[in-house]
Amino acid sequence: MTTPFRYRPSWLAWLLSLFSGTGGLIVKIVLLSLLNAMVGWAIIVLFAQDRLVWALGTLVVLAIFDFVYLRPNKLLPAKFILPGSVLLIAYLIVPIFFTINTAFQKYSTGHVLSKEEAITTNLEQNVVQGEKFFLMTPSRDESGALVLVLVDDTTGQTYLGRASGLEEIDPASVEVDEFGDVIPPAGLTALVGDELFGADAELAAFEVPLTGGGVIKTEGISGAYDSAPGLEYDSARDVLIATDTGVEYADNGRGSFVSADGDELVVGWREYIGFENFTAVITNPLVRAPFLRAFVWTIVFAASTVLISFAIGLFLAKLLDKPKFRFKRLYRSLLIVPYAVPGFLSLLVFKGLLNDDYGLINKLLPFDVPWLFDPWWARASVILVSVWLTTPYFLLVCMGALQAIPGELVEAARVDGAGRWQVFRKVTLPLLLVVVTPLIIASFAYNFNNFNNVFLLTGGGPTSSDQSVAGATDILISYTYKLAFEAGKGQDYGLASAISIYIFFIVAAMSASGFLRSKALENMK
Amino acid sequence: MKKHVAKLVAGLTVAAFAALSLPTTSGAAASLRIWADADRKASVEKVAGAWGKKNGVTVTVVQKDFGKIRDDLKTVDVATAPDVIVGAHDWVGELAANGSVIPLTVSKSASAKIPSYALDAFSYANAKGNKVLYGAPVALENVGLVVNTKVAKVPTSFADMVSQATAFQKKAAGNFGLVIPGGDAYHNYPLFSGLCGYVFGKDAKGNLNPDDVGVGNPKLLANAGDVDSWNKSGLLSSKVDYGIAKNAFLAGKAAFWVTGPWEKDTLDKSGLKVKIVQMPKNKCDSVPFLGVQGFMVTKFAKTHGVESQARDLVGSYMLSEGAQTQLSSENGRAPANTDAAAKIDDRLLKEFAAAGKGGVPMPNIPEMSSVWGDLGTAWTNVFKGADATPAKTAFRTAGKNIKAKIG
Amino acid sequence: MSDPTQRRGDDWWRHLILWVAIALAVFPPLYVITAAFNADQTLSGTSLLPRSFTLENFKGLFVQKEGGAEVFFVRWFRASVIIAVLNAFFTVFIGALSAYAFSRFRFRGRRMGMLFLLLIQMFPGLLNLVAIYLIVLRTGEVVPALGLNKLTALLLVYLSGAMSINLWLMKGFFDSIPSELDESARVDGATPAQIFWGVILPLAVPVLSVVGMFAFVGTLNEFMTASVLLETVDNFTLPLGLQAYISTNFEENWGSFAAGVLIAQIPAIIGFIFVQKYIIAGLTQGSVKG
Repeated sequence: MTTPFRYRPSWLAWLLSLFSGTGGLIVKIVLLSLLNAMVGWAIIVLFAQDRLVWALGTLVVLAIFDFVYLRPNKLLPAKFILPGSVLLIAYLIVPIFFTINTAFQKYSTGHVLSKEEAITTNLEQNVVQGEKFFLMTPSRDESGALVLVLVDDTTGQTYLGRASGLEEIDPASVEVDEFGDVIPPAGLTALVGDELFGADAELAAFEVPLTGGGVIKTEGISGAYDSAPGLEYDSARDVLIATDTGVEYADNGRGSFVSADGDELVVGWREYIGFENFTAVITNPLVRAPFLRAFVWTIVFAASTVLISFAIGLFLAKLLDKPKFRFKRLYRSLLIVPYAVPGFLSLLVFKGLLNDDYGLINKLLPFDVPWLFDPWWARASVILVSVWLTTPYFLLVCMGALQAIPGELVEAARVDGAGRWQVFRKVTLPLLLVVVTPLIIASFAYNFNNFNNVFLLTGGGPTSSDQSVAGATDILISYTYKLAFEAGKGQDYGLASAISIYIFFIVAAMSASGFLRSKALENMK
Repeated sequence: MKKHVAKLVAGLTVAAFAALSLPTTSGAAASLRIWADADRKASVEKVAGAWGKKNGVTVTVVQKDFGKIRDDLKTVDVATAPDVIVGAHDWVGELAANGSVIPLTVSKSASAKIPSYALDAFSYANAKGNKVLYGAPVALENVGLVVNTKVAKVPTSFADMVSQATAFQKKAAGNFGLVIPGGDAYHNYPLFSGLCGYVFGKDAKGNLNPDDVGVGNPKLLANAGDVDSWNKSGLLSSKVDYGIAKNAFLAGKAAFWVTGPWEKDTLDKSGLKVKIVQMPKNKCDSVPFLGVQGFMVTKFAKTHGVESQARDLVGSYMLSEGAQTQLSSENGRAPANTDAAAKIDDRLLKEFAAAGKGGVPMPNIPEMSSVWGDLGTAWTNVFKGADATPAKTAFRTAGKNIKAKIG
Repeated sequence: MSDPTQRRGDDWWRHLILWVAIALAVFPPLYVITAAFNADQTLSGTSLLPRSFTLENFKGLFVQKEGGAEVFFVRWFRASVIIAVLNAFFTVFIGALSAYAFSRFRFRGRRMGMLFLLLIQMFPGLLNLVAIYLIVLRTGEVVPALGLNKLTALLLVYLSGAMSINLWLMKGFFDSIPSELDESARVDGATPAQIFWGVILPLAVPVLSVVGMFAFVGTLNEFMTASVLLETVDNFTLPLGLQAYISTNFEENWGSFAAGVLIAQIPAIIGFIFVQKYIIAGLTQGSVKG
């Protein structure tokens, strides 16, 4: 059996072989020390920031690293796999856990804060503003207490606002200069510059109590207004109470405050709601109805794209696969061009080219095809464009694979009297598929989740009048996007996460069975 | 063993060095951070910078993608979060529901100078149904009907506009009468309102009521037949996208174009003689959607200890005539402040502003996200030419779908 | 080295079909080329053959228009190329390390581990991006260099995908390198690491080049992750920058955008030319056992 490669002593290989031996050992020590130093530093910072869990976790990871790399000749596989695994876990597996966590929560518009923040925000938003507005200058008296010098915007009456209460004073003692700033009377010094900044929190929280209830609050550094709270929070019973009507809003266990009448306060918080997001797919007709259709179309789309691209790629590779074929190099370079252009840019260009009346393609063809406006033509367009984008990849793969098939096998088959097509089917193709099948499966999975290709070209449309969420070309992932971000109050991350998990199980199950059934993993027993 | 010792020593040494140079918490300097998009960064820097200089506050303006300004507020890190943002009024509902921006109170004298619909656009109802203001309106924009006065006259009525458009279209192949980007609910809104359509009704307190969806309302459905006739005559087609519409008009091949003040410079440079008006009244006034841009104070201002300063910048300074005049001159938008608006002398800008009279601010409640998709689809479907959906069906279904989505 | 019995006479129809394929492959980019040189600035205003010729669009990439947004084209270009080269290099490195382990060592969970690695990459990226954003955010609070808006963080996120189908390709190639070579090296006293560096890698240069090229081109064109992690315009990669270029003002900058796209393709094309030699034998060599 001939070995199908030759040792090519290129400069790159020479460079690599330098790393063996003693040189390699030195490099290893240096790298490991640097790693320990940098991660050690990070751990110290984590401790300083009071993030004990993270600090300990990082420490554990560092310990594993050291353990694996410092034991000579043991744990070999681990030594090789560890760097990639750490990155994989950090940026792929951990996000998956996040997503799973989100899927169990109500995390959408109005359910973004923590509960305490939600309570504070509700109180803030329901402050009842009174009729008056004041020009204000914050100042301090001799004892250092904060005093607001107030001039009523409409009546011109002047007051001093203290923490203890409001005091009316003689308008003559207060001047308003040409900038509209209020100059405090004698005995008070206005807050300016650094002192003013330092007092920001104090100023924002300052309240001047008024007889008859209500307070005067500041607005910025030069205004104030009278107000009364509209909602109060009873922490003992965990309810918000409306001050005028006495209506109570209680925690409904799903991230909102709701009154007995079913009035829900808009500002809620993130809350775990168990499997609700998951069951929505089954119970909510809005979600359920298009799901199946999108599911079927997604499979059709992904499978067609991959199989057609593979077929065309293989065909072109076979055409090119001839010794001393003229212009072979030129053809190869030109056919790769679709691959070199960033995908989303190509999609934008195609969107313009496929426009019914004004696109270039219809202008070149003798008849008009409603590429993007008719549901079936739109589906065809999406597949065609995806094939355009994917074929170069399979062309490359097939070119390499064909080259690797030993010529003697083909010759032997021909000598035995097999025709060209038979040789291809019985000899070439099976050998090819052994290699290419996993790539096909991986490409299928990629296109299953290929949000870009669909969304940028058609936006998931065209939508027929009676369909609500999913359009004719919506695949599961773009359908998820629309459901989560363009329905209800928008931005429902919880629901989107749950559906993503469903999608993952579907595509992983299909791919896993593909891998296991193909012989690709056979030689790995 | 030797190599282990060597490594440990090396590591510990470096770690020790690093520990000694731990990052110290930065000293509290009075600084304010603003997020603005590419278009507005320069003007905001100038205007906010002037305020900062007056008050001794360092203002930093960070440029961010317009859409990201709203999205990233949910997840931004406190240390790098903005204290003030420049944004569109239709974000207010979502931002308020998420507690990302704080309520503001403005003085009577300041609010008197701002049109009440602009203030309403930046308000959102609280639990009691009272309007709470969350931002300072600074610029207004709306689409208008751009008339190529060389080939058409300013229409005196809706029917006049249609007949002029049809006549021009017939004159030569490749001519368009009226160009509007197809399938775009925003640009098509004047047609929609002209047929007595609306998006959300108002409740007793004047707040948008998501239960009152006007997309399939009886009046609109009764008038929908007009749309079918426009489709049949080829007056409008959903295959015309933004680029095609723009090109056609700039090439002199369209009599009327619906677009907004962002095209002002292009129109100036085109050499065409144009006049901009509001689309004439059809069965109801053909008012456009109004977009209001403004400044908002985020909840992070409190955490950063600059809340009062931020409130002053946004609620007081940015509403003033001087600030708004400067902002609008740099951005090519009509200022919200009525005094500043009276002073604009750019003809096209004035005409665009006038075209917005009586316009409807885009609804700012979160439920609006359920509307754009279906309404846009309805417009695509009714102007498809031969196999278009009858308008009555299209709008009725859109209304039904929107109601179902809002739930 | 495929079918040596093919006749020479059937060449002309091969050429014909190939030219048809090339025409289909190339005309959309051709359209972009035309748009780049066309004075007309909108998408629908350009046709396949240029109506006018101008270099204004290219100038617009490098020189800021008055009153327009700042241009960072050179920075975007540089950022994209640097991160693509680094990603290619490290992806190959990490992938080769892992592929070697899967190829040469027998350990528990080898088969399932391989399957797991292939499957885990199929998690829908759309929402994972939100989680990745948060992780990078939090990491940045500890180690600022690995936080948001930093190209290093973006690189690390890209590298988390290094152990994917590329790994499988490399493993297949390594499998074809006879273990006799390993044996003879071991007899000579080489450690596994030395065998890896000194014997396997030099022989694997073909597949390393191919994987490196896939990673290089893929990174140059990657949009979604970069758009989530990079925040300020001056830090963008090329696809991000170009997209921002056309999203600010509807379609005003289509001409300059097309010019940018053209220039953006140059690194990828150079990459292809560079790696052409290795493509043929590189991909699946040896996975086909005779």
